[in-house]
Amino acid sequence: MAAAILILVSLVLAAFAGATLWWTMHAWRTPETLASTRFAAPDGDHRLTFSLLVPARHEQAVLEHTVTRLLESSHEGCEIIVIVGHDDPETAEVAHRVARTEPGRILVVTDTNEQKNKPRALNTALPYCRGDVVGVFDAEDQVHPLLLEHVDHAFRSTGADVVQGGVQLINFQSSWYSLHNCLEYFFWFRSRLHLHASKGFIPLGGNTVFVRTDVLRTANGWDGTCLAEDCDLGVRLSSRGAKVVVAYDSSIVTKEETPHSVLGLLKQRTRWNQGFLQVYRKGEWRRLPGLGQRMLARYTLTGPFLQAFSGIAIPLGVALALWASVPVGVAMITFVPVIPMAANLVFQTVGLRDFGLQYDLRIRWHHYARLIIGAFPYALVLAVAALRAVWREYTGKRNWELTAHTGAHLNPAVEASAA
Amino acid sequence: MTTTMDAPIEVTRLIAVPERVRRKRTDLYLAGGLTAVVLFVLSWNITGFPSASDDEGTYLAQSWAVQHGVGLAHYTYWYDHPPLAWIQLAGLSWVPALLAPGTLAVAGGRIAMLPVVATSLLLVYAICRRLGLARWTAALALLVYGLSPLSLTMDRQIYLDSFAVAWMLGALALALSPRKHLWHYAAAGAATALAVLSKETMLIAAPAVLVAMWQNASKTSTRPWAFGGYLSGLVLVGVFYPLYALLRGELFPGVGHVSLIGAWQFQLMSRSGSGSVFSAGSGSYQLVHSWLYYDTVILLAGLVATGVALAVRRLRAPAVAAALLTLVALRPGGYMPAMYVVQVLPFFAIAIAGMTEEAVRRLNPRRHWWRWSVLGVVVALALALVLPRWYVGDRRALVTDDNAAYAAAATYLRHDLPDRAGATIVVDDVLWLDCVNAGYQRDRVIWFYKLDLDPAVAARLPAGWRDVDYIVSTPALRQDPGTLPTVSALLRNSTAIASYGPESGRIEIRRVDKEKP
Repeated sequence: MAAAILILVSLVLAAFAGATLWWTMHAWRTPETLASTRFAAPDGDHRLTFSLLVPARHEQAVLEHTVTRLLESSHEGCEIIVIVGHDDPETAEVAHRVARTEPGRILVVTDTNEQKNKPRALNTALPYCRGDVVGVFDAEDQVHPLLLEHVDHAFRSTGADVVQGGVQLINFQSSWYSLHNCLEYFFWFRSRLHLHASKGFIPLGGNTVFVRTDVLRTANGWDGTCLAEDCDLGVRLSSRGAKVVVAYDSSIVTKEETPHSVLGLLKQRTRWNQGFLQVYRKGEWRRLPGLGQRMLARYTLTGPFLQAFSGIAIPLGVALALWASVPVGVAMITFVPVIPMAANLVFQTVGLRDFGLQYDLRIRWHHYARLIIGAFPYALVLAVAALRAVWREYTGKRNWELTAHTGAHLNPAVEASAA
Repeated sequence: MTTTMDAPIEVTRLIAVPERVRRKRTDLYLAGGLTAVVLFVLSWNITGFPSASDDEGTYLAQSWAVQHGVGLAHYTYWYDHPPLAWIQLAGLSWVPALLAPGTLAVAGGRIAMLPVVATSLLLVYAICRRLGLARWTAALALLVYGLSPLSLTMDRQIYLDSFAVAWMLGALALALSPRKHLWHYAAAGAATALAVLSKETMLIAAPAVLVAMWQNASKTSTRPWAFGGYLSGLVLVGVFYPLYALLRGELFPGVGHVSLIGAWQFQLMSRSGSGSVFSAGSGSYQLVHSWLYYDTVILLAGLVATGVALAVRRLRAPAVAAALLTLVALRPGGYMPAMYVVQVLPFFAIAIAGMTEEAVRRLNPRRHWWRWSVLGVVVALALALVLPRWYVGDRRALVTDDNAAYAAAATYLRHDLPDRAGATIVVDDVLWLDCVNAGYQRDRVIWFYKLDLDPAVAARLPAGWRDVDYIVSTPALRQDPGTLPTVSALLRNSTAIASYGPESGRIEIRRVDKEKP
């Protein structure tokens, strides 16, 4: 009986890990797939106008840099709307000061909601948007000047309603977990999101996401109660048949930083997981037309929990097989889920090398060692975050745990050479 | 405007798709048809030629053990070979049971090899096509591989190498994936591991798969990922074999149990070599000459073609496989298994066919009429040289009955041996399975080899040779006189009660004279 359960659990875990690996590696399946994930070369026309929303909460340290950088955009038709809270005078002061330098292009909107969170801030700004397309950036984002030109072209050439650009954590050398965090983003934006876009179900990212203003208004903007408003918006738009295009180009990707402590990472991940859970429970995804799409939605939204569970269960099963006296055949079956798990680690190693090449970062042997050694502890962090998310959701704690930013990504080259 | 732009694209598509499908169909029919022809020649008289060997009996008995849940072998499995090939053989055992019930077990068991060889034949064709060779070249490679009297002899036999070859050819075909698909590369890694787990010496050819991948993925953005995929497939499937040993507590050598690493140490260091191929009288020399006896053409032409093909980019992968396998065979002092040549034959065939195409391309007969005549003369000469030899060799395979004596002995053991219910009988491995199938008690049918070498078997016979009732004396059993004392004692102290076959290959069923002092 115990053996039967062990076999069943192992095979389910193997199937799950195998499917995840399959989808994670989507972009690298063939050279053609990889080529199709890039932005097409822009034609130089600037036909669309953009309203770029930058919600900022206690971000006085990085806001000015971000907005200045957005102003450097090669695209002519864009306005920037900074959203600050009425209870956050420091950030508001910075925002107003920057706005005075370019009065026609920068608008500061004050969010007076009692309970502050990102979706509410975005909704506050939505009525002020004048552009054809609304873009969202975080206050710590480092946005490439050529991005909007590419996005403009992508909207026009594909007829998309939504364009999701690449986001990349860049400070991989800051700590043991930041390496894994960076690679997670790399695989997610470089590869997995493209699969979702092609299957017609996509949880959008939190920034560098562009939506046609009319589509966004028809969808009533963001869900102010959801902890993963980005995922929720993606699910709602794809359920209504919106066309989503994902493009990743390492040269114009939006650069971000990892949370500055494990606790920060834990909180951030808890929020996302809980958000995914909320989106799952809302059930908008049930309106997707295809059965395959609904299965993918179910799978993706519960993914963090399955991933956390298997990250713990697979090593546990193997340990059980090694020390408990089970028949050899059964013990070998418990090792089957290790195949995709270990293959994932091999691909992460290749990915780390690729990451270094694409971003011109020097990857040393100890980074590879950190990748291998840190894999299980990182899985543990993710597992704790998943458990915490479930706990918070079922005990009704739905407040927004903010991640603080210090600007570690702003000059990674200096830090890399110092490390 | 839009319609006029779109229309021509639609039209070309409509033509292009059936064209590709049609070409694929032609390949399918051609490869399938030729494979059917080769299979017909292969299966005709498969039970009669060549003579059943002890190795075949061993592998078949081991597959029987797997099939009946006895374990990985009918005696203690000591990691002599990885077990995957006979696990697959066990999976195929329903084929002979269906088609040839009641024949000599080893002879009938050979039918299970037909699907394996068919796979290899089709893969040789596919590999040629994926290397960019012409259809006639692929067909030539298939025919050379299938109809060489040497392959016809070796591929009929129950050898682990045939399984390994099929997997390795599969790995090569996957590494040449036209779509350069990541998971095809990963599958190529897994297939390589399965090949090595079928027969460990196949590992020698593995670099050829890497060469194929390297060439196929060159100038693509996904090459590092391709190698990551290959490595994952190779290691993660291959590791299950040491894992099996580890879980049984048999990975490391120790007192009172067999071990994987101990077996490796034996195979690599202690096993006495079969001498150099170049010194007359050595085991390797005799072995190579026995191969040359069956077919000099594929071996010599293959060797020459391989040497040249190494310089031709698109033929480099199969040439590397053939060259490495040849170099290892020619190394002085090592041990060479009797069926080793099975592994190199498909690569020789691809090299021969590929170099033929290369030569024709260089000759470029379309330029002058005299070039056509040169080509004609060369082809006629080659056919005149090869066909008579192959005719003799293939005819031998189709008409000789070398297993009549074994079959008669098996029939006697099945029906006529007196008081066999509780009899202890010593046989070679060819007849072991026939005895077990005939209803003898399994632990009383003893493979002669184990009498003196397996302590567990010796422990079952407290009175030594006097506990044995019958011994079946065959050429395999008499092969190394004096090395197995209990077997020698049994032969000395027994009387023949039935005898089959000519003097040189006589098979005798002998009753043990227990009262003899």
